[in-house]
Amino acid sequence: MGVPMCDYCSVELIAKERDRLVQRSARFIGLGSTVVALICFAIPGVVPLTTLLSTIPLFAVLAFSQYRVGLTTGLLWVVIGIVSGLGILAVVQLPGEPQAGPSLGTAIVPLAAGAIASFAVVLTSSLGRFVLLVLSYLATVTLAELAIPGFISVQDAAITAGWALAAVFGYWLSASIPRAARRIYSIGRAHRAERQASETEAQRRQGARLLHDTVLATLTLLAHSGVGVAPSALQQQAGEDARLLRQLRLGASPAPQSSGDYNLEPVEETALGTTLESVKQRFGRMGLEVSWHGTGQVLLPSEVLDAFLLALAECLENVRRHAGVTDAHVTITDDESTVRAMVTDAGVGFDISDIDEARLGFKDSVVARLKDVGGNARLFSSPGAGTTVVLEVPK
Amino acid sequence: MSEFARAEENTLGVILGKRNRAGVPAGSTAGRAMRQASARGASLGTAHLGVGASMLAALQGVYGIGMFLTHAGDYPSIAPAIAAWLLYALTLVGLTVTIATRGERMPDWLFGVFLFALAGVVVLDLVAVWPLHNLGRYATASGSVGFGLLAALTLRRGRELLAAASALGLILLVAVVLSTKLSPVNLPEQILLIATAVMPVLFGLYIVRRFRRIVQLELDRVLVQSTVSAPRFAVGMLASEELARLDLAAEELLESVATGRTKLPLSPKTASTAASLATELRLHLIEGRRETWLYHAITESEQLGKSVTLADRGSLAGLLGPKQRDGLLAAVWLLVSDQSKATPTAQVTIGPVTAIPDPGSKRITVPIVIATTAVPRNRVDPATWDAIGKVGRFLDSTKNSSLRVEIECVVTNPADQ
Repeated sequence: MGVPMCDYCSVELIAKERDRLVQRSARFIGLGSTVVALICFAIPGVVPLTTLLSTIPLFAVLAFSQYRVGLTTGLLWVVIGIVSGLGILAVVQLPGEPQAGPSLGTAIVPLAAGAIASFAVVLTSSLGRFVLLVLSYLATVTLAELAIPGFISVQDAAITAGWALAAVFGYWLSASIPRAARRIYSIGRAHRAERQASETEAQRRQGARLLHDTVLATLTLLAHSGVGVAPSALQQQAGEDARLLRQLRLGASPAPQSSGDYNLEPVEETALGTTLESVKQRFGRMGLEVSWHGTGQVLLPSEVLDAFLLALAECLENVRRHAGVTDAHVTITDDESTVRAMVTDAGVGFDISDIDEARLGFKDSVVARLKDVGGNARLFSSPGAGTTVVLEVPK
Repeated sequence: MSEFARAEENTLGVILGKRNRAGVPAGSTAGRAMRQASARGASLGTAHLGVGASMLAALQGVYGIGMFLTHAGDYPSIAPAIAAWLLYALTLVGLTVTIATRGERMPDWLFGVFLFALAGVVVLDLVAVWPLHNLGRYATASGSVGFGLLAALTLRRGRELLAAASALGLILLVAVVLSTKLSPVNLPEQILLIATAVMPVLFGLYIVRRFRRIVQLELDRVLVQSTVSAPRFAVGMLASEELARLDLAAEELLESVATGRTKLPLSPKTASTAASLATELRLHLIEGRRETWLYHAITESEQLGKSVTLADRGSLAGLLGPKQRDGLLAAVWLLVSDQSKATPTAQVTIGPVTAIPDPGSKRITVPIVIATTAVPRNRVDPATWDAIGKVGRFLDSTKNSSLRVEIECVVTNPADQ
């Protein structure tokens, strides 16, 4: 399934993130500078009190514009902010106002080179914005020159430096994000390839079900210390299974030629009985008491026996995990064509209508296994009334 | 998911696949990939950012030298100020050369030398301007040192730089108070000097932090995006590795039985190993096939894992086509990745299929409900609607002042596949 990643929306999302980062940076720098600028203006003697009071609303508009610029991509608040900043520069030199103090030249630097210049951070992404940047810069320098009679070169240099720093910073920052994004996407592609490889590998291993069935059967025998099976037969089977597992590990998809015929030969006469006993012991150790009823002497072809036992163990495992009881009953009956196991518990039970969706495990592990050998499983349960599973396999 | 899907423990009471906070088993391939990626994410792209910061420092240095030359005639003894500027230039150039040759990192000793050199710059500059009794106007190199710290912005921890910047601000403040007779006329200059010293690092740290967060989030999203192309039922990156491990363990046990290294009948200990191997193997052969790409996406993602819950009892998410999956993942991502203060959550419910398909139609409708908390309708990113639209026709409403979306997702009937 080589469906390409949705590169279009990645690019769109990352562009959005980039814009947001640049905007928030502009806001942070702008608000910081505005605070410093306001402190400088508020020092007694820098500007007359009446002038200071008339600039306060403009400062408020400036700060609010900076706040808004952090949230929106549009130019509206950028323009409003720059105009209000320039307004402050104009107000301090209005003819009607009393003469400002000699330290005004320095006091306007944080405003002109910081607070207003902070908008330059968001003005580098297109030619139109860049034109606005240059115009705003020129307006700022002109108004600053007019505000300070004589001795202007130092302030001009500071303002130029501030605008240059802000513009370079904005440009650099917006270029950094796509660079990082490109590297992230290459990592993402590598990760996707790795996921697909791991998926294929897992499916190959899970697909080797016949192989795993014989491995599981052998392991189950080993789990009971190999009691009841001729040691030589078990050794031979273990060697065969190990060989198949090795082939699987090395990349082949081996199919067992003779699925578990070991347990037919040595244990043919007592196949079901012995194996049932070991299943009982295993569940006994895990806290579920299993009582057997009915016949123990049934002869079954090996693959049918495997499927039958695995399905049975799966049912008992479900009882152990979900029924909430500590004992279960298994009744084995057979006629001339069929062997039947009835697994009953007096546990919590459940609503059968849930089964299709919620208990795919049952379908996968029990029904599918039995169907493979021509058998079937039926399930009876209702909440509070326990559960009964009937497993049938042909003889 | 159903209780069946979660193998809380194996039959020996061992917790299967110990999971970390992000929901990815720490030892899994995915966990490893995430860790590697996050480690790389820490420096991903910040190198470029670091170069930019150094460039700003250089730019500001040029301005500072210009200011210094403007006032050069006023200094009683100009030598220490020149020495300060030379030392500052040498420090920045030296650091640039070190980074270019030794790579993008700054060991403790180098940071120590860097700070020591910058301290030297401040001392030399203060010595030069002290007799002028107006630090704000004449101190140039020491004011630039605040920008100089930016050169280490992406290489050292934030609080170290913050401490350095605060120390610089404090030293300048004390020097101003001691050397300068403060008056309304010269006060703005002093404030400007201290602000120039402290604020660059403050701005820089804020920006680097946000930048890193964007990179981390994007990395998380891109890694999770790879689930979109998974088959209907995927085993996830954990299962494959676990299965391989169990197969190998079984192979070794069987091999040692076959060769007679392990004697029959088995000791109780070996027998119980065999029992647990059989059980785990069986669980792993069944488990995993029921999980859909969406389940893996949510458990593997740091962002989604903590805020999204999935109820998909029929594993219907697996039926969605690649475009629909992409849309659904993007929508959920956009809904919960809002970086405001409230932590948004989303509950994704898929199915059950109730509508009876038209006879002869090869398609069925899967209902998907995304119920959110702390996601006001008006705060939803506009791109979310496009993303949801890719999944199917939808209806949005508000419940408990948070968004709720019901989607009718039309997919190919699995019975016809």
